[in-house]
Amino acid sequence: MAGKIVLCRCEDVTLSDLEHSVSRGYRDIEEVKRYTGFGTGPCQGKECLAVVALQLARITQQHPSAIPPFTSRPPLAPTPLKLLAKDPGAHRFADETDEGED
Amino acid sequence: MRLSGSSVRAYADESIAAASIACGSRVLSRSLKYHRPRTFFCFEGHCSGCLVRLGGVPNLRACQSPCTPGAEVEGQNAFPSAEIDLLGAVDFLFSRGMDHHTLMTGSSVLNKLANKVVRQLSGLGKLPTHAAAELPEVGRFDVDVCVIGGGPAGLAAASTTARAGRRTVLVDDQLRPGGSMRTDPRVGRALAEHYGAETVRTGVAVLARSTAIGFFPEDDGGVLAVSAPDRLYRIYARHWIWATGGYVVNLPFPDNDRPGVLAARAVGRLLVDHGILAGERVCIVETPAMEQDVTALAQALTGAGADVTRVPLADVVGTRGRGWITAIDTKRGKLDCDLVAVAATPAPASEGARQQGCSVVLDEHAGGFKIVTDDAGRTSTANVWACGDVTGYQGPAAAAADGARVGANVVEAG
Repeated sequence: MAGKIVLCRCEDVTLSDLEHSVSRGYRDIEEVKRYTGFGTGPCQGKECLAVVALQLARITQQHPSAIPPFTSRPPLAPTPLKLLAKDPGAHRFADETDEGED
Repeated sequence: MRLSGSSVRAYADESIAAASIACGSRVLSRSLKYHRPRTFFCFEGHCSGCLVRLGGVPNLRACQSPCTPGAEVEGQNAFPSAEIDLLGAVDFLFSRGMDHHTLMTGSSVLNKLANKVVRQLSGLGKLPTHAAAELPEVGRFDVDVCVIGGGPAGLAAASTTARAGRRTVLVDDQLRPGGSMRTDPRVGRALAEHYGAETVRTGVAVLARSTAIGFFPEDDGGVLAVSAPDRLYRIYARHWIWATGGYVVNLPFPDNDRPGVLAARAVGRLLVDHGILAGERVCIVETPAMEQDVTALAQALTGAGADVTRVPLADVVGTRGRGWITAIDTKRGKLDCDLVAVAATPAPASEGARQQGCSVVLDEHAGGFKIVTDDAGRTSTANVWACGDVTGYQGPAAAAADGARVGANVVEAG
């Protein structure tokens, strides 16, 4: 290991990655997410969103309350797709899909 | 059960993660980019540390999967094994970090080669061996009150609304309800069991091992999708109470992701809920805000026979160990240890409430994005309430009182 300070363990995003992102001009939380990939792994930000947001406030010298969270999207936890297969909502767009199956 | 080919004896009601750590198993998988070793951190199903392949199905959380006789558990994301992973060389080759946006983009030939390599390196687990044998039907609940989270706040809130005659369903994602009570030596397993049983007795429908995976406002006036182990539920409610507590998080210090660095609450859970002392020489890395919680944990660990040293975050300069932690480096020198417990203020689990449009605000003392509520516990969205640590960290006793109070306000609101 090489002294990395890891902020997001799912995607291996380090404090220096965050600093690099800010130095390239990506300093909005959504931009940082897209540039570094933090919060896009299996935990979907449970472990890293607050940590990255607080570090971002410090690095960009903003009050924490000025930093919004990134958009929360389902599913909020790893979910086996078979659970969704019979939900009525899963077939809402059935007519738009290819009927033929392998 | 069988863990990476070896037989492991385990208790029937414990998680695969608890059984694994009790038998000395360490590294389970490798991280996505640098292939750094990964293993347990939170023991509450919220980090990605303990993803394993179980019975041919990838990416299952070992800490939320109960032990079953003959279960086949394998590590994933490593070649040839999680303990000795050749792809770990990426970590040394890119010791100062890898910017994948500019990696080998100078030449189109090199870029194609890099893409091939990166595709081999990345991705999580391998597809299941078999397709699902059957597809489960979707269940449905129409209730007066839906409580999300079965910790001290959620159990108290749900019991309160059910006692007042409100049809109440409680969704909890853990193996057993109790939340942070199962991790705190000041509360303990017996009290968690008691409150869990009491909640069932008041008539609450308790969905254990069930996770609120999304709120869909456009669907019949709003539906909460909940994944249970055997099926999906659609939940419709007149009132929603978010009592999801907080997620344990790591603290920023060099090599803070080394295996053997666990959340302090995970170390507490192993001791309080499972009777497992995860280390003999424990270093607790702490922030001033967690002083009281750490004092309680340190006393319990010492009482169980561990040698405990407390280190302020500001003093930590690094960690050592191959495969598992052997020491941390501090400003005052090297401290040998076989476990590091990180005590940071838990981050409010507010992302579900955010899907219902509830306002949140980033607050360092609250641990992260706390749900904003008025004095009664109302959020910024009508008929949506919040109580306990998700409104800012308060600890199990205060969270239980808050849950009972907000539950009563929900009853009063109709």
